[in-house]
Amino acid sequence: MTCISRAAPAWAVARRHSSSRSVRVPPASRRPSRAILSRFERLSAGIGRLGASDLETRGALRTDVLGLIDHVPAGHARACVSLRLVAEALRPDRDRGDRQPALHQAARTLLDAVRRYLSSPKVSDRLSWIEGPERSTIAIMRNLPEASPALKPRTSDLIGLTDRRPPSVVARAESLPALALPNDTDRSLLGDFCDEAREYIESAEAALLVLEREPDNGDAAQTVMRAFHSIKGTAGFLKLDGLVALAHHGESLLGERRRRDGFAGRIAALSLRALDALRDTVANLDASRAGAALAYPPGFLDVLRELEDIDVEPGAATVEHGGSRSASAPTARDAAATHSARVRLDRLDALVDLVGELVVAHWMIAQDPASGHDHPELARKVAHAGKLVRDLHDMSMGLRMVPLRGTCNKLVRLARDLADRAGKQVDCRVEGEMTELDRNMVELVADPLMHMVRNAIDHGIEPPEERRARGKPAAGCLTVRASQMNGQVVVTVSDDGRGLQRDRILERAQARGLVRPGEVLNDTDLLDLIFAPGLSTAQQVTDVSGRGVGMDVVRRNIQALHGRVDVESMPGQGTTITLRVPLTLAITDGMLVRVGEERYIVPTTNVVVSVRPERGALFTVGGRGEMVRLRHDVLPLVRLHRLLEVHGASEDPAAALLMVVAAGDRRCALLVDGILGQQQVVAKPVTAGIGEVAGISGAAILGDGRVGLILDVPQILDLARRAQLNTQAVA
Amino acid sequence: MSAAAGKYLTFFLGAEEYGMEIRAVHEIIGVLPITRVPRTPPVVRGVINLRGRVISILDLRRKFDLPPVEPGPTSCIIVVAAHAAHVGLLVDRVSEVADIAAADIAPPPPLGGGAQTDYLVGIAKSAARVRLLLDISRIIDAGDVAAAGPGGGAPTAA
Repeated sequence: MTCISRAAPAWAVARRHSSSRSVRVPPASRRPSRAILSRFERLSAGIGRLGASDLETRGALRTDVLGLIDHVPAGHARACVSLRLVAEALRPDRDRGDRQPALHQAARTLLDAVRRYLSSPKVSDRLSWIEGPERSTIAIMRNLPEASPALKPRTSDLIGLTDRRPPSVVARAESLPALALPNDTDRSLLGDFCDEAREYIESAEAALLVLEREPDNGDAAQTVMRAFHSIKGTAGFLKLDGLVALAHHGESLLGERRRRDGFAGRIAALSLRALDALRDTVANLDASRAGAALAYPPGFLDVLRELEDIDVEPGAATVEHGGSRSASAPTARDAAATHSARVRLDRLDALVDLVGELVVAHWMIAQDPASGHDHPELARKVAHAGKLVRDLHDMSMGLRMVPLRGTCNKLVRLARDLADRAGKQVDCRVEGEMTELDRNMVELVADPLMHMVRNAIDHGIEPPEERRARGKPAAGCLTVRASQMNGQVVVTVSDDGRGLQRDRILERAQARGLVRPGEVLNDTDLLDLIFAPGLSTAQQVTDVSGRGVGMDVVRRNIQALHGRVDVESMPGQGTTITLRVPLTLAITDGMLVRVGEERYIVPTTNVVVSVRPERGALFTVGGRGEMVRLRHDVLPLVRLHRLLEVHGASEDPAAALLMVVAAGDRRCALLVDGILGQQQVVAKPVTAGIGEVAGISGAAILGDGRVGLILDVPQILDLARRAQLNTQAVA
Repeated sequence: MSAAAGKYLTFFLGAEEYGMEIRAVHEIIGVLPITRVPRTPPVVRGVINLRGRVISILDLRRKFDLPPVEPGPTSCIIVVAAHAAHVGLLVDRVSEVADIAAADIAPPPPLGGGAQTDYLVGIAKSAARVRLLLDISRIIDAGDVAAAGPGGGAPTAA
């Protein structure tokens, strides 16, 4: 890394600084004036007095805080970031719930810390003033349901403090050499660059979609420009001239050109294409690290040429923007370095797996009679270690949680592209995109979600004429909604299109022999047929869907994740597909139950309550199977031993135990012989050589070293329902 | 496909001796406590904990429609690697590792009876012994298929 002193990208410098633990602080001459400090005092007091419903005051204070950022002396990047956090905490739409006081408190503490930071004469004091409150504020805000992207201050987010001098000469498309890396390129830096570029591209893509709806949204345009700008700087450092040129023109396209002509038509289309070209190039660069041949992606030069043509006045403004603040840049980097660290994914995964095993191993120690009542001192130590292990577990799981935002953005983009191609108009909405999920799960749900969006655009939403004829707005509405519920993440994809055509589904299913002629299905089972292999109701086969390899794959993939997919549809009004998956696959918190001679693990997230029923609480509804009355509820009784074909279980519910379990809004009471305890287990698949097993989601090693099976409660409910229907049919 | 010459692990099911290619064999272990898996065909004996990994156990006797017996002192589990996963095969007794020459291998007879004919890829004859050579990957494929039938099908199949 010999050339790093020249125009090193921020992360490269950050890395160097963090390794040597040096911190550079701006010269004292840049102290803020007394006037600014007293404004801090006022604001801080104002937030302290803020009531829970003072939305207007919140907004006003927020504006003040944002205004303050401009007055922070150059070089205090961390103070700027913290102020942005304060502003974020004050956003009027931020949180209407009971956590408002906590947020206000956090904002005030942070503001105080910024003030102390700025007024502190001693260098070493400064960072400690601000770091503690900042961490806790981030923690508070992270727990909010709708954390904002602004919460993740990044290298380049430091309010224009980046120092990435754009190269003075931008390569031209006609004279661009083939894509190649200089021989002295640090390969690990290239990996970092690709990661960071991908994140920039993702955020830029989201912002472009915002711009499309609100062409005058300056923040969104800034985000895209910043992405291009940052990639340009880093690409320049890596001597990737083509990327530099592309990003350079992209930046000015979004800058002056957009300000002059508005974000529409050719500019909008070209921005997206430029971003695509960037993404593809970055993908190629990334692949080259694994030995793939390096080349510009197809179409790259065309995009670049078009950008050159449209860019009449190459980026004067951006040069100024980058240069004017460059003096303060080093501190910005130092500040960023303390914020986040990049960790290799395989190491993270290995860590999480190990912690999972540790949890189980500790549980085995805690269960061992040797550490029980006879040795209170040892038991205390084991309990203490247990608490640490649990904390470690929570923390390690948190490391891998990422928001669904990136996936949601991709979906919106896909919907837009597909609608364009199909000549349809679609208005996309995303809700709850900050819902967090284990990053391994995020990758696994992306494909199924894409399938769902494709189906909605291709089969659901009608062409504009047809919609108008039905009295609907010409533009269809596609909503992707994510939320967390009962330890599961629920994602729904809804459209307001024509709905599933039941007669066509039935026709196809009969033609394929899935349904016998004359067989009567209830509506749920009928709609469920769309998940059957080989069933597609599309009239034409398009290049994206309609080959009948959609929904069956979706269901299979989601079931493999211990999740489920359901469909609802109203003719003429639209279709909603709901996907439910657990937050993580790594560890299941379970209740160990005994059923006859077998033991099973019921995931704690599914367990509502366990009771010993009174004899009078049981009754049979004519032909509809056994029911049990528990307080105000009447629930179906499921004799688990019959469902799972276990011998030696108690037949008398009054002598056994009822465990009420729930999945989504469905509930039932499982008859079990007893509860053996609660336990965290590392879930492992059971499918090798066996295939999918209905009712079982996985296996785990129990305390005695034997294997216990984890019940899949949603499937158990399905099985029970079908068993009951069969009984009914026989009766 | 017919069997190739090479090293075979041979084992007994009742009085019959079978062989499988040694390179498919991962290890041979004694019988560990097996957890039954509900709603699976009889050939699936259950799952065991093999040093922290959960692997499924197929009962070859049941696979070949031989009368079932409970595992005895000589019973073994042959752990084989197939399709990127490990599967254990429960057998009555492991015999030896035999070098089988190409000249000793005859193609499987075209007879219809017995479930094992599907998995039989050759018959090795040597000094008064007949060994039935099996293609293990076919057995495990069939195990997957079997499970998808009675209880494991997709809800849509109902």
